Amino acid sequence: MNAITRIAREEWRLWMRSKIVIVAALIVAVLLIVTSVLTADRITAEQSQRLDQQIAAEKTFFSQPDRHPHRMVHYGHYAFRPPPPLAMFEPGVDAVTGQSIFLEGHRQNTAMFADNKAAADLGGFSALTPANLYQLLLPLLLIVLGNALFLRERESGTLAVMLAQGQTGVKLALGKAVALLMVIAIFMTPLIAIAIYSVNLGESMLAASALVAGYSVYLCIWGAIALAASIIIKQRAVSLGFLIFAWLFTAMIVPRFAINTSSAVIYAPGKIESDLIMLAEQRKLGDGHNAADPAFQQLQAQVLEQYGVEKIEDLPINWRGVVASNSEAELTQLLNRYSEERMTLEAKQSHMFDLFGLGSPSIAISSLSRTLAGTDLATHHRFLRESEALRFDFVQSLNKVHVERLSYADDINRNVDAASSMRARVNSDAWQVLDAFRFAPDSPQQRLGNAGLSLTILAIWLFMVGGVILLAAKRVKL
Amino acid sequence: MAIPLEARSLSLLRAGNSVLDDVSFTINAGEIFALLGGNGAGKSSTLLTFLGFLEPSNGDVLVNGSSVRNDIAAARSAIAYLPESASLYGHMTAYENLSYFLDLAGKPANREDIDAALDKVALAEEARTRRLQSYSKGMRQKTAIALALLRETPILLLDEPTSGLDPVAIDEFHDLVKALANNGQTILMVTHDVYGACQIADRVGLLRGGKLVGSFSAENGERIDTETVHAAFAERETA
Repeated sequence: MNAITRIAREEWRLWMRSKIVIVAALIVAVLLIVTSVLTADRITAEQSQRLDQQIAAEKTFFSQPDRHPHRMVHYGHYAFRPPPPLAMFEPGVDAVTGQSIFLEGHRQNTAMFADNKAAADLGGFSALTPANLYQLLLPLLLIVLGNALFLRERESGTLAVMLAQGQTGVKLALGKAVALLMVIAIFMTPLIAIAIYSVNLGESMLAASALVAGYSVYLCIWGAIALAASIIIKQRAVSLGFLIFAWLFTAMIVPRFAINTSSAVIYAPGKIESDLIMLAEQRKLGDGHNAADPAFQQLQAQVLEQYGVEKIEDLPINWRGVVASNSEAELTQLLNRYSEERMTLEAKQSHMFDLFGLGSPSIAISSLSRTLAGTDLATHHRFLRESEALRFDFVQSLNKVHVERLSYADDINRNVDAASSMRARVNSDAWQVLDAFRFAPDSPQQRLGNAGLSLTILAIWLFMVGGVILLAAKRVKL
Repeated sequence: MAIPLEARSLSLLRAGNSVLDDVSFTINAGEIFALLGGNGAGKSSTLLTFLGFLEPSNGDVLVNGSSVRNDIAAARSAIAYLPESASLYGHMTAYENLSYFLDLAGKPANREDIDAALDKVALAEEARTRRLQSYSKGMRQKTAIALALLRETPILLLDEPTSGLDPVAIDEFHDLVKALANNGQTILMVTHDVYGACQIADRVGLLRGGKLVGSFSAENGERIDTETVHAAFAERETA
C-alpha cells in the first residue's frame, strides 16, 4: 500500500471512529435514499399518468360525434409533457412551468398544472429533490468532513511527525483527497442507482452517465475547496467559518443575485404582459369568426378572382372556412412572433444566469443537471413550440375540412332550424386530422452539447481549486 | 565518515525577529548533545532547521555532511524526530499509530517488531491495544520513542523529551537514550532540564537569546557537573 492510500485509509479510520461523522453521514444517506425513492416513485407515476392522459385526450378528440368543424376547433385538445426519466432525480423547471397545455383555435394558452400538489409547496419552499440534496446538502457534509483534514494534523502536531517520516505536503494532500474521493464515490451510489433505473425507463446511457460525471465533478470541487481551506487556513474555526460562508455565498446568495441581475439586465415580459401588448396588433387582423369583417375584403377579392366568380356564394368552397383558415394563419404568425421574442429573452436571461456559474459551482451544476435531465427551460420552450405546431396543424386541418366539406349555404344557415343545424355538421371521420403527440427530451448528444457551458465552468472550477491545493500543499508549513 | 549533525554559523529570522544568531556546533556519531536553554532560547527552532521545517536565513545545517536545504528528503530519512508533545493519533492504538507512521516512513514493521520496540520502552502489554486518548503523557512518550526506535535511523532528535514525565519514567527514558547512543545513534536533545541534560549528555550547549553562549563536556569518564551548568544557566538567565 503506498503512502497516499495509507493516508486515505487512516482518515477513514478516524471518520469511522467518530460518532458525529457517522451520524451526519447516516442522516445524509437516509435523506438521499428516502428522497430518491419518493421522487422516483412520483415521477414514474406522473410519467405513465401523463402518457395515459395524452392517449385519453386523443381518443376523446377522435370519438367526438358529427359536428360543425369550427366547434371542433374550439373543442380543442391537450398536449402533455411527460417528465423524462431523469426527472426523478432532477425535476427541474417542471414544478413551475406547467406540464400540460390546452390547444384550441385562435389562442396560444399558457402551460398549466405546475406540479405543486401539496399546500406546503405554496409556502415559498420548493420540495426536496435528490438534485437539491446533491447540490446543497452534500457540499455541507464534505465541508464537515474536509474542513479539518489538514488542520487537524497541524493542530495536533502530527503534521510534523508525518513530514518527518519523509512524506511531502503534496502526498499528504493527495492522501486526504483520496479519502474524500471515497466519500464522494459512496454518496454517488444513489445517483448511480437512479441513473441505471432511468436507463431502464428509456433514458440514454450517455445522458445518464454525463449526469453522474457532472455531479462527481461538482462534489469533487466542494471536496477540493474544503481541502484547500484546510491546508491554507491555520485555525479550525476560521476554516470552518470560511467554508460555511463560501457555501452560503455560492449556493444561496449568488444564485439569487444571478436571478435578480439577469431579470433586471434582460427585461422579459411574462406571457400575460406580452399577450396584453399583442392584443392591439391582434385587433387589426380582424375577427376570423366574422367573414364580413372589413379586414378580409382584400382576401375576398383575391379568392373571388382566383375562382372567377362574382359572389362568395358562388365559390366552390366555403368562404367562412377560408376566412377562418387565413385568420388563423395570420394570427398564429403574430402569436409566434411574440412568443419567440419572449422565449428568446428568457433564453438570454437563462444564459446570463448560467454565466454566473463562474462565481458559483452550484449554478453550473444546477444548469447542467436540468439540461442533461431534459427538464430545463430550453426543453420547456421546445414543448411550447411543438405543442403550438400541433395546435396550428390540427386547427388548420379542421379549417380545411370547413373549407372543403361544408358548403357555405349550409354554414350560414346552420342556426335556422334543427335540420339545417344537422346539415352544417361534417362526419366525425374528419376528426382523424389530429397527429399523435409524444413529447420527448432532446437527443442525448444535443443535451450534452447544450450543457457545454456548464461543463466547461465546472471544469474550470475543478482545475482552479485543484491548482490551489497543489500550490498550497507544496509550500505547506508547520 | 561524515559528521552526523552540524550547524554552521546558523542564523534564523522569523517574522523579522532573530531566533538564532550565528550558532555553530557539531555532533559526532554515538554522541548525546543536549541543547539547554530557557523558553524562547531557540532550542526547538534549531531542531526544526535540521528537519528542513525552517530554512536558515544565514549559515547552514548539515546532516551526514549534506546541506539540508539541498536534500530535505535525505535529511528526514536519516533522522527520527520526537516532538515535545509526542504527537500521535488519539483515536488509534499504539500498534495502529506505529504501523501507520512506519508505513509512511517506508519502513513497514510487523507486529513482532512493534512488540519488541514497545517492550524496550516498557509500555504495558495491556495498553498496546488501547487508543492513545486514554494514555498518560508518559505512555504517549514511550510510544513515540518506540517509533523512533523502529525507524532505526542513525540520528535522533528529541524535543523536551522528559517534560511532563514522572521521575521513574524519566530515569527509564534516560537509560534508553544512553543505550541508543551506545549503539551508535547520534542524539540531539533540546531541554530546559539541567539535571537531566547533565545526566545523560556527553556535551551540553547553553543557548540564550538565539546564541550559543556556553558549552560543557564530560571529561575523564565523569558526568558533566550539574552545579556548574546550573550556575551558568541561572547566571545567563538572570543576566
